[in-house]
Amino acid sequence: MRARSASAPKFLNLSQVRFPVGAIASIGHRVSGVLLLVSLPLLALALDRSLRSKSEFDALRDLVSEPWRALLLVILVWAAAHHVLAGVRHLLMDIGVGSRLSQARTSAWAAILAAGIIALAAAVRWLS
Amino acid sequence: MRLFLGQRAWVLQRVTALMLLILLALGAATLLTGPSRSYESWHALATSTHGAVLIVVFFAALCLHGWIGVRDIVLDYIHAPTLRLPLLALIAVILFAIFIRVVLTMAAHFAGGA
Amino acid sequence: MRVSIYRFNPETDAKPRMQDYDVAPEAGDKKLLDVLMRLKTMDDSLSFRRSCREGVCGSDAMNINGRNGLACLTSLPGLKEPVVLRPLPGFPVIRDLIVDMTQFFAHYHSIKPYLINNEEPPERERLQSPAEREKLNGLYECILCACCSAFCPSFWWNPDKFIGPAGLLQAYRFISDSRDTATAARLAYLDDVYRLYRCRSIMNCTEVCPKGLSPSHAIERIRLALVRESS
Ligand code: HEM
Ligand code: HEM
Ligand code: SF4
Ligand code: SF4
Ligand code: FES
Repeated sequence: MRARSASAPKFLNLSQVRFPVGAIASIGHRVSGVLLLVSLPLLALALDRSLRSKSEFDALRDLVSEPWRALLLVILVWAAAHHVLAGVRHLLMDIGVGSRLSQARTSAWAAILAAGIIALAAAVRWLS
Repeated sequence: MRLFLGQRAWVLQRVTALMLLILLALGAATLLTGPSRSYESWHALATSTHGAVLIVVFFAALCLHGWIGVRDIVLDYIHAPTLRLPLLALIAVILFAIFIRVVLTMAAHFAGGA
Repeated sequence: MRVSIYRFNPETDAKPRMQDYDVAPEAGDKKLLDVLMRLKTMDDSLSFRRSCREGVCGSDAMNINGRNGLACLTSLPGLKEPVVLRPLPGFPVIRDLIVDMTQFFAHYHSIKPYLINNEEPPERERLQSPAEREKLNGLYECILCACCSAFCPSFWWNPDKFIGPAGLLQAYRFISDSRDTATAARLAYLDDVYRLYRCRSIMNCTEVCPKGLSPSHAIERIRLALVRESS
């Protein structure tokens, strides 16, 4: 065969591929993992503030009074919920629990929906 | 355990995930069943020996878990060595700095509170 | 019916394009491959691989309406129109729906897809108990069509280093074989950040395998075997 591969086109347009739920749960796990990681400095900062004095502690509890901060928190609540649920799903599947395709599809839907509901609940509580 | 091969990171990611899960559950349980969510009770908990140790362990597991996670992401998407290696080094340094920061925080309050 | 096909001819085209065909399936046309064969008589420049036309040779794998599958096993009723056909995602395109499988087979060869046993051969064949033979079910049926590997995001990002679901399923087929004596060496070869551990258990592979196999399950078993091996 001629060595053409280097210049050959590839079809890899992700918007033209139909992804199964498992792939959606998985990319969500990755995105949420990155979001949590990016917020890690803030978490370390919050830990420090919360221990300094009563007024700084109370200031942290008022974080949601500002809508844009509340929105950020809602996103982080989604990230934490999705990451932990999809993470537990992964851990179970790693030891062979629910790793059959039909079960894996169901648990992927469950993780996606449950995380969405949890985020919605946080939004209702803090944003309305 | 085999060192310097693929398995170590995989096992470490799962072990730290389990640690995080248990510590998060423990934290949530303390919050929900504790007497009050006041500054005083939080401060007392965080500066007690077992509280401080668990917080440091939590952040250690978090940094390790996150390190392996982003390392995998970088290995997937970023292939040019000139970009990949500095990026990995930068992330490792930042994560390590965050962990040190947490240890310093805990040490400061632990000394003050004891 | 309307079929929209990815066209690319390296001799005349700078880049790929989509071409629409209208074709009337005839009485005997049951599968997508039948329609493709009919199109080929209308436009003989259209290129695709096929041989057995019954899901055995693994040559007509392609991306059908966004999912990988074999044209010869895809039934016409229920196919959403226009039927959009593209080459296997992530593989270098040689022409139209024909992709370059060189790397895919290089990964397959890298896992030593043959029995290794240096013990003195017995008088007749090496026997297996029914239980030992049972372990190969769900593994030996693979036809190396590459539907799975070409649907695996981890393979898209690292096609040169990650063995991919097809190769790993085959690796597990030999790890599971009671007659093979190289299990430890096979596992040691796979214990690598790239070869095995790029897999993120997305299960896209199992979703599209036209033979109903589960490469993700094989991968899960390899990882557990490695943990057992080293603890
Ligand atoms: C400047 C800092 C670091 C850099 C640039 C770095 C870079 C890398 C790279 C490129 C790999 C993949 C190896 C490969 O491609 O074959 C790797 C693997 C790994 N690293 Fe690091 N690393 C750093 C620090 C650390 C630290 C602090 C830890 C943990 C305490 C760590 C734990 C691991 C583990 C567990 C693996 C997985 C597989 C193996 O053992 O080979 N690394 N690292
Ligand atoms: C709260 C802080 C956490 C952060 C910052 C974090 C971060 C990450 C990141 C960045 C990844 C890489 C994702 C990928 O490779 O696609 C990851 C993977 C993972 N996380 Fe977390 N995580 C956290 C908590 C947890 C918890 C509590 C669990 C336990 C249930 C968990 C379970 C997992 C698992 C099992 C993986 C590996 C998944 C895979 O191989 O694709 N994580 N995490
Ligand atoms: S495992 Fe299934 S999809 Fe993958 S190459 Fe074999 S037959 Fe094809
Ligand atoms: S389970 Fe692993 S091998 Fe299969 S599609 Fe997902 S990442 Fe690829
Ligand atoms: S033509 Fe042989 S598998 Fe489809």
